[in-house]
Amino acid sequence: MINTHFLNIELKSPTVLASGILGLTASSMQRVIEFGCGAVTTKSFSLDWRTGHKNPSIIPFEHGMLNAVGLSNPGIDEMVKEIRLFRRQCTAPVFASIFGRTLDEFGEVTRRAAEAEPDMIEVNISCPNVHSEFGQPFGESCPDTAKITQIVKKHAGKIPVSIKLGPHGPGIGKLAKICEENGADAITAINTAGPGMLIDINVRKPVLANKTGGVSGPAILPIAVKSVYEVYRSVKIPIIGTGGITKTGDAIQMILAGAHILGVGTAVYYEGIEVFDKLNKGIENYLKEQGFDSIEEIRGAAHE
Amino acid sequence: MSDLMQTFPIRRIVEHGPGVKSFYFDKIFNVEAGQFINLWIPGLDEKPFSVSSITGDQIELSIKAYGPFSKEMMKKKAGDYLGIRGPFGKGFSFHDKALIIGGGIGIAPLRILAQKLKEQNNTFISLLGAVTRQEIIFSSWWDSLGQRHFTTDDGSLGLKGVVTDVLPEILKMNDIKYIYAAGPEIMFVKVKEMIDPTGIPYEFCMERYMKCGIGICGQCVLDGSGIRLCVEGPVLNKEALSGITELGMKHRDASGRRV
Repeated sequence: MINTHFLNIELKSPTVLASGILGLTASSMQRVIEFGCGAVTTKSFSLDWRTGHKNPSIIPFEHGMLNAVGLSNPGIDEMVKEIRLFRRQCTAPVFASIFGRTLDEFGEVTRRAAEAEPDMIEVNISCPNVHSEFGQPFGESCPDTAKITQIVKKHAGKIPVSIKLGPHGPGIGKLAKICEENGADAITAINTAGPGMLIDINVRKPVLANKTGGVSGPAILPIAVKSVYEVYRSVKIPIIGTGGITKTGDAIQMILAGAHILGVGTAVYYEGIEVFDKLNKGIENYLKEQGFDSIEEIRGAAHE
Repeated sequence: MSDLMQTFPIRRIVEHGPGVKSFYFDKIFNVEAGQFINLWIPGLDEKPFSVSSITGDQIELSIKAYGPFSKEMMKKKAGDYLGIRGPFGKGFSFHDKALIIGGGIGIAPLRILAQKLKEQNNTFISLLGAVTRQEIIFSSWWDSLGQRHFTTDDGSLGLKGVVTDVLPEILKMNDIKYIYAAGPEIMFVKVKEMIDPTGIPYEFCMERYMKCGIGICGQCVLDGSGIRLCVEGPVLNKEALSGITELGMKHRDASGRRV
């Protein structure tokens, strides 16, 4: 496997479980590690538990997936327990994905999450399917992005922070720059795109209970690659390239665009949990065939 | 099979008693005994249901009015469109000289199991328990399948009591090589205590709150094993069950809390 350095964290492979996929419990995350995943990201959690949206909340379509889970989570007390349990059972790094309803809540969740000593805190400011409740995602506003980055950094202590951005809003390069200027240690790009909608033609109603939801999977790969490309151009901090990575070629494109490590989520549906092993081997083979010794040699190569 | 959301019309409805109905759809897919589908009532919710039988060119879902979803189902008419995704998960394996144990409405996946065991000339005994006689739908159908035992809490059908009252005697009097179970988990935990010492292998069809049905959301992952019940289950064998630390304990709700 390809050992990877990221923010002084040692990963056994460059593929990381993306937030929202199989990240609810220690048992679940540990199983993913057994399939070659280099680090796990928890499901996004908040101070208080949330039921999220009704079902259907996750629906595959021909070219990807549409979801409006609605940030359901058991709340920080439960999630801190699961992170600690994972720590006891597994040596792989764990990233805590957090969100808040208000700027202050972002600070409080960060402070509490830091107590569980995750290897990194990922800050979800770009969920596209809680619009009716939260309004426009914080991550689509430059001032809010700056404020949240500051608050989170203040409460995270020595734990590094990555801000998770979406492909929409005032430009992902510009937003990433704001994060960097306000102390972010990394950028996770991108969240799900959209929101989008699917309508059933027999009952003539939107399929998702929430009507709209974020788009993931192969459909958004080009958007994700372009977003990572833009972020790489605008900041020096490392990027967790996420969005539509399913096959080896997708992963390589992300690295060429400038990704440091790779978030993999929806691909678990297409390829099984084995997708982590498959991607790791695929990346290794590509490097060998093309005459490279490490990922570093090709990172951002598409910019040259 | 399709993971994508598609809607199909209800072809016919059969009422078995107050609040218990079977809904028939075209046989839009093949289904293994124990597999489930996600049923969507547009505008309301989507929930997992066991397919209870395949009859000719139709599949049957038998549903008992219980919560808001199943109560809404009782209002549905032939011709109404409902969403069906699936079938999902892994079903039962087939073995001869089996014992089928079921409790309450949980017996739904056991009907299709019995149907398939019979098709393949496997012999079996059935032991079904319920609170009262109305809960054991298709009792005459089970009668027609050979040796069967019913228990009800109130004694209105079969023996008064629960399945575990009768189980030791059945195991003593018969040469049972395999055991299947479905129903309340608390029932299964008691059954498991009795059958583990016998060394007879078994499979149990489990239930958990589910969202995606396709193994990505993590909602139905079982503590201790990391098994995704919607993909690696819902039918789990003895070995898989032995790794689960939450059997018979609190389950996760839609938020992920243990309640």
